Amino acid sequence: MLRASVWISLAYLLTPSLSLENYKEDLRVQPLRDGRVSTAFSFVTVLDGVVPRNPTALEQPDESQHYALFPLTLGQILREYAITELHLTLNAGKWNYDDWGHPLEASVRTGAELWAWMGASEVTTVDERWSGLRNALSGLFCASLGSLDSRRTTSPVVAFPLSGSTPPFAQHELRHASLPSENVCTENLTPFLKLLPCKSRAGLAALLNPQKVFDADWHGMGVHVIWKEGTGVELKLTLQAVFNPARSSAGKRRDWSLQSLFDRSIERSCPVASSSSVSVVLPEEVNYQITPQIAHVEGSAIYDLSSSSNSTIPSNIAMHWPSEHSFQYPMPPLQPLTPLSVKRTLHGTTQTRGVLSVSITNNSPQEISAGYLEIIPALLTLWMHTLEVETNSEIRSDLLSDLKYQPPSRQPNGHLSPSMVQAVLTIPPKSTLKISVEVNKAFLKYTEHPPDAMRGWELPGAVFFPLPQSANNISSSYDWEMIYTPTLLVDLPTPDFSMPYNVIILSCTLMTLIFGSFFNLLTRKWVVVEIKE
Amino acid sequence: MLLIPIPLLSQGTYIDENALQPAQVNTYWNWGDVHTADLHMYQLDGIVDRNLTSEQRAEFFRMEFSKLGLAASTQNYTFTTSKGTISGNNAYAVMSSPRAAGTEAMVISASWLSTAGHGALNVRGISTVLSLAAFLKDYSLWAKDIIFVISDDYLHGMHAWLNAYHGTIPSNLHTDPLEHISGVIWTALNIDYSGHSFSHLGVFHEGLNGRLPNQDLINSFRFISHYTGGLPMTVYDHLEPADLVDRWSEWSVLPSWTPAFIRRSPQLQQYEYRARNVVRHIGYQARGMCSGVHGLFHQFRIDAITIFAVPAKGPHGFHALGKIVESTLRTMNNLLERLHASFFFYILTSPGTFLKIGMFLPSAILVSVAMLFKGLGEWVDAGWVREVSEVSLKGTGSLEKEPKTKDTWRNRRRPMLSVLITMVATHVLGVLVFNLLCSRRFDENRSFFVPAILAAVSMIPPALLPLLPKNTPEVAPSSVLLKSSNLCLASTVISIMSLLNFSLAAMLALTMGVPLATSSRSSSMTTSLLRYAAYCILAWGWLVLLPEEVESAIWNWEVLGVWFAPFVCIVYAPLVMQAGIVCLQGSS
Repeated sequence: MLRASVWISLAYLLTPSLSLENYKEDLRVQPLRDGRVSTAFSFVTVLDGVVPRNPTALEQPDESQHYALFPLTLGQILREYAITELHLTLNAGKWNYDDWGHPLEASVRTGAELWAWMGASEVTTVDERWSGLRNALSGLFCASLGSLDSRRTTSPVVAFPLSGSTPPFAQHELRHASLPSENVCTENLTPFLKLLPCKSRAGLAALLNPQKVFDADWHGMGVHVIWKEGTGVELKLTLQAVFNPARSSAGKRRDWSLQSLFDRSIERSCPVASSSSVSVVLPEEVNYQITPQIAHVEGSAIYDLSSSSNSTIPSNIAMHWPSEHSFQYPMPPLQPLTPLSVKRTLHGTTQTRGVLSVSITNNSPQEISAGYLEIIPALLTLWMHTLEVETNSEIRSDLLSDLKYQPPSRQPNGHLSPSMVQAVLTIPPKSTLKISVEVNKAFLKYTEHPPDAMRGWELPGAVFFPLPQSANNISSSYDWEMIYTPTLLVDLPTPDFSMPYNVIILSCTLMTLIFGSFFNLLTRKWVVVEIKE
Repeated sequence: MLLIPIPLLSQGTYIDENALQPAQVNTYWNWGDVHTADLHMYQLDGIVDRNLTSEQRAEFFRMEFSKLGLAASTQNYTFTTSKGTISGNNAYAVMSSPRAAGTEAMVISASWLSTAGHGALNVRGISTVLSLAAFLKDYSLWAKDIIFVISDDYLHGMHAWLNAYHGTIPSNLHTDPLEHISGVIWTALNIDYSGHSFSHLGVFHEGLNGRLPNQDLINSFRFISHYTGGLPMTVYDHLEPADLVDRWSEWSVLPSWTPAFIRRSPQLQQYEYRARNVVRHIGYQARGMCSGVHGLFHQFRIDAITIFAVPAKGPHGFHALGKIVESTLRTMNNLLERLHASFFFYILTSPGTFLKIGMFLPSAILVSVAMLFKGLGEWVDAGWVREVSEVSLKGTGSLEKEPKTKDTWRNRRRPMLSVLITMVATHVLGVLVFNLLCSRRFDENRSFFVPAILAAVSMIPPALLPLLPKNTPEVAPSSVLLKSSNLCLASTVISIMSLLNFSLAAMLALTMGVPLATSSRSSSMTTSLLRYAAYCILAWGWLVLLPEEVESAIWNWEVLGVWFAPFVCIVYAPLVMQAGIVCLQGSS
């Protein structure tokens, strides 16, 4: 094993790379108050001194790409379409903000979400490159990102700002799309692991056992590419999963270990990783035991797994509560862990109209200003004049400001783009704000219905995000991050596509035709009209 | 209609939706879970003994759910009706299933009172729901959220909960929005287990206003009950003749003096068994009543049934019920889309056989069509008058046996205005009566109002009749025109109803078919008055004869929104009254 790593290190040093590459990996494990365990892997590769491709120079041949650690397949896509910043997340389940707090990686939207910042160019337009990017990524990750077409694409620049630096060469544009119905499974994990320098053979990624990860209560993966001036291009691959040891253990205990969570152990570290660590966020209570014992740093225990460190790799990290017979769930009322709790529902049982209502509760003793973004496919028509903002059963329109509404527009390919609502909400302390707006449901052409027509259409979740300027005013204890609401299902007026119905329609038509002609024959009199000359 | 229960007409049930895959799974429910259910039952017995209030009960259920780590809450509600207010407390919990987006949900519910009636408490049903909650959350195979609801009382608790869940709170309901909400509910199971043990599981399926759940749900349940649970399903709590070999004579309606070979004839027993099912079905459906708590779900496009543990001395208990419910939930969990195949119109004649719409619909439609032809015939007759050479005989359709002389047919005018006024007036009268029935004053002075209404509705038409223009030989008699339009209207009503609610249409065909077609004027005043009185009794007699029915229909309308009561007052009774007026008009 030692020899192998020496060879790999040698190969690494001899690689004719122009840029310096750096790879770090880390895993954060956090026991949650409802007995679940949140785990977040992050694998970061930094390409030092590399600048994103200038889209105005797309016609000229690109500089050659030689990567040792950075995945070439992804690098090619980024260069080909001149992407400055890229974020792709594939998640399954709904994140329970109240009990789990903010996730370590903020993008937890159910299903697939993709957004990219690209420089404008005359050579190939942003939309052309966006379409190419979607198709390339859907091939790379085996996900239906290709269907993130103009029916789902918008440009919400306030909610999804450029998180790195802006390159000087062009005006940048945002393209954002989400697909709530995307199911995330093994076929997405395998290509994800292929992007890692050690695959799943060594290092932290060795823990990623699909059988266990996809049995978790929540799981999601993300690809984030950003450019930071002075550092270079940073690729961050993340994988989060929320496990429920109380569900899978026989005694309904919340004890966990890496072995029990993943059914695998780390046998060797990834030799090319400059740092590799597991940090366990320690709970506030004291009746737990963690093995192996280690000094605590700021409320968490950090285990260094990198090959350069002198310490031996701990084969298993475990936490248990010896005094607990079985896990006792905390009893209500429980204070939510995030300052904002959001509920969003679509009321009304008819297939033609309904009411979209959002209620936002401020759990903190401070007033919170939040950005509110709603991207609604053209299946629903929002009646903006019926928009009502209410708190403590009185109408308070002053709490909603900076309302921007972009109605659906017809795209060149005939599709309707989604409508977009952006607003700033001011939520008084310890109170609930209710927003309601009436909607009409579209009557689709029968060819536009999906094969599972009676399932309904998914409505992507709304987004609540902290406003840049307000972040400075508010003290850090009530700091919060982006909040996604769960997906909704909309019942559109759907014809009965089943066979008996069609038979009834057809036979009724036939009967009508026969009856009509017989009736005509019986009631009309055929006479010869003599024309007098 | 008498043919409906004949076994030959029914066909075997089958599963239409391929995704359901009933009884294809191994169940995990075992004796440990039965023990949990037993423990819950002892706790609930304690609650019953201590006579806790509805609020304390709901709080107890919420705590039980919270101990399992589910998002649980209670809902307080108050209905305002003409008879005062009804209030109660529901408890519910939402189990967010792993990895699911929470867009779809299934409901398992139990009400505090049982379908069995006589104040029977659904203690074991609730224990089953509580122990299922503890059991189901330990599996990661759920693709839909599961909502556990323990509703107060019998019907109104669940009605309040469903309305709050869907945000369709009627004006007479006061409740706060629900604290926890999941996705769209597609299917629901209501568990009703009030006895000590059971031998059969009965299925109740009729919903409000004659809605039925998709038959796939019942059929899958039958499969699962048979193959997974190993116990037979029945329709309602009617046991099949084969299950009642010795005791069939206790159930049979045939009197004991009938010869034994008739009583023991399997064909006749089958017929009687099926007829009982059909009659019970029509009894629920025609009145728009639901046969259990499940019936409240249908108006929200949720397919739901009640699983009723038919009380018996044995042999089954929590073990069989838990297994069957688990397996049924797995089947419901398999659904990729809403149950949608055209499986909403049927009559279950026995657990394994049903009648398709094409088999039973003609029985009502034929009556309706006959009425339409009769009405059209009257209309044509009204337009012609026969003139026999010199002696002009005005007659509507009276056949002249021996036409001695050459007669001619002459057109005559058919003035519809007075007829329309009469018809509209009767319906307006129906609206007035209905408003009166729903008012608080009616409820307080029932003994005064019932005769008063009866007297008013029977006296007003004869009193107002002289105001109408007199018949002249030049125009058709208004009684014939009234009869014709009355028949056409009634026929339209029946045929429309037959699609919405077959049983109600069948009842209308029975009560209106012959009486409306035979209404005619009579030469003698007494006969016409007697006839008119008979029509009045047919139209409004239920006010006196069926006071409990009136009360329950009005309660159903005010709390649950069943439109049977307004329909009878505003559509049915006026139609029969019009036939009565036909008799009166002839004599005057």
